[in-house]
Amino acid sequence: MFFYYLKLGAVNLKRNPIITALMVITLAVGVAAAMTTLTILRGMSGDPIPHKSDRLFYVQIDTGPVGRENPNGEPDAQMSYTDTMNLWRAAKAPRQTPLMGTSDTVSPERKDLQPFITTGLAVGADFFSMFDVPLLEGRFWSAEQDKAGSDVVVITRQMRDRLFGEGQSAVGKRLMLSQRELTIIGVLDTWSPLPKFYRLVGSNRYGSHEDYFLPIEYAVRVESGIEGQVSCTSRPDPGFQGFLQSDCTWLQYWVELAEAGDRQGFADYLVAYVNEQKKLDRLPRTVNNRLRDVNEWMVQQGVVDNDTVVATWLAFAFLAVCLVNTVGLLLAKFSARPGEIGVRRALGASRAEIFSQFLTEAGVVGLVGAALGILLTLAALAYVRQYARDIALLTEMDWLMLLTTVLISLVAALGAGLLPTWRACQVLPAAQLKSQ
Amino acid sequence: MIRMNKLSKVYRTHMIETHALRGIEIDVQPGEFVAVTGPSGSGKTTFLNIAGLLEEHTGGDYFLDGVNVTGLNDNQRSRLRNEKLGFIFQGFNLIPDLNLFDNVDVPLRYRGFNAAERRRRIEEALAQVGLSARIKHYPSELSGGQQQRVAIARALAGSPKVLLADEPTGNLDTQMARGVMELLEEINARGTTILMVTHDPELAARAARNVHIVDGLVTDFVRREAPSLVAVA
Repeated sequence: MFFYYLKLGAVNLKRNPIITALMVITLAVGVAAAMTTLTILRGMSGDPIPHKSDRLFYVQIDTGPVGRENPNGEPDAQMSYTDTMNLWRAAKAPRQTPLMGTSDTVSPERKDLQPFITTGLAVGADFFSMFDVPLLEGRFWSAEQDKAGSDVVVITRQMRDRLFGEGQSAVGKRLMLSQRELTIIGVLDTWSPLPKFYRLVGSNRYGSHEDYFLPIEYAVRVESGIEGQVSCTSRPDPGFQGFLQSDCTWLQYWVELAEAGDRQGFADYLVAYVNEQKKLDRLPRTVNNRLRDVNEWMVQQGVVDNDTVVATWLAFAFLAVCLVNTVGLLLAKFSARPGEIGVRRALGASRAEIFSQFLTEAGVVGLVGAALGILLTLAALAYVRQYARDIALLTEMDWLMLLTTVLISLVAALGAGLLPTWRACQVLPAAQLKSQ
Repeated sequence: MIRMNKLSKVYRTHMIETHALRGIEIDVQPGEFVAVTGPSGSGKTTFLNIAGLLEEHTGGDYFLDGVNVTGLNDNQRSRLRNEKLGFIFQGFNLIPDLNLFDNVDVPLRYRGFNAAERRRRIEEALAQVGLSARIKHYPSELSGGQQQRVAIARALAGSPKVLLADEPTGNLDTQMARGVMELLEEINARGTTILMVTHDPELAARAARNVHIVDGLVTDFVRREAPSLVAVA
């Protein structure tokens, strides 16, 4: 009977075409508003690495003098070179990596290409396995190369295509970064998590991704330029070494634990570390560490801004208003058909069958509304892409969101159809048949 | 086929009770053609609605083809209505958005026949009323008489035991009414029980048996040997 009801639903779309069109448009506009904001909200707030987000932790240690603490009680978002390297070299977690933004001038070997400035990341060798970075060709650097700060680099596929031509192998070739020569040992496959959860501080969270990856020891050794945020509470001693030995915070630090339950153990280790440093007349503030998993860190960093959350709520409120209108239109549409209901009841339809038929009809309106809603959502996202470039990469609609659009439209239409359908079931057939 | 014992129907509002039927006693045998007559407001439409399971009676018993319908729920009544009864209305009551095929298909869908069986029955029923050539037409493309014939085809398609007709020729001119009446007589001759409400004495005279209802009571029975085949004026 379901397909029979679907067929009737399709036939009845043509009945009262103006009311039908109004219903579909009302529903589609409401769904499109909701889905546009939801798509952006999902892009902002979705778990970027769900299978291990509860095992990846961002580390913070409160650095700086007593009396100049953050009013909100938070330690600085980044860590000093001393603490970062101490923790990294101690390697108490199964995997760990420091993270530092860099910026360099690339001098292509090809004469037809002009030098250009681009950004990269200086990280530890564990970075790639911690964040599931895919490799297209070559390899990542080893722990030994990590410690030695070898002159090696891993570049992205886009960078390879740009420098050497699409599909050309880059492994073993040279890369000139700010007049320094490095050997390309690996090329990443496409990897563009959004937001850039691994680097929420000091970079555009929804912006373009880094083009190259260096061992952090190399970046420090060659005094590579820092691309990101540097925070100092006092003037560091002169020179790069003075900067390294200061309490300026400019490095980010991630650890991956074997189990989520290992968190407390690592937190205890951090407390012990800070207390050890205090004995060396460092870290004078009260112990105030933070160990946040990926999702906690994204929340703390306000990855989902309040405007987007409010916009999403408003969009769903608008959808609710659209639904109220759809209820009214469905009531008008169904109330014009008591004669048909009477006939169907006389010919053997039970109330349940009338209910199923009319609810299916509401569902058909929902499906048509979904189709139009998807088109309107795509148009709205294209508009956002055009005029809000900082979140342009979040405006892609995947299959899940398309499916969600259909489901929301369907559920909305079925919800809106409940009252009109219930009223249709209450029609007394005898009264209608005589009055026809 | 239809047996009612002391059947009554009372409509109640918060202030008023209206006795539409007051202890109807009737026994319609299989294959009978019974005309139900009576003045306006006598209760004959209420009687037909209860016979057609479109309304529930408030007192007495009603047996349809041996099944006591008292206390049946909506699903059971709907199933019984679909399997045992066919309806013909004064206003035809075809669904305007469906073509003839789909109109006749309606009761068969609720019966749960498969597609092939439904098609066979629809084509057979429309052939029986002489409208095979119009199978894809819509009701608005037909005359009143043709529409009533479609309604008869729809009623017949499910092979009902009883055909309930409420003023079946009330909206038709003389010639069309004659054709419909002859069709009903033919259907009855093939064994289908017919219960027809009419206020037209000439039409009633063509039934084998008349039941007269006044003020909710059966007041008169007239049994005839055979239906006369005179033209309806």
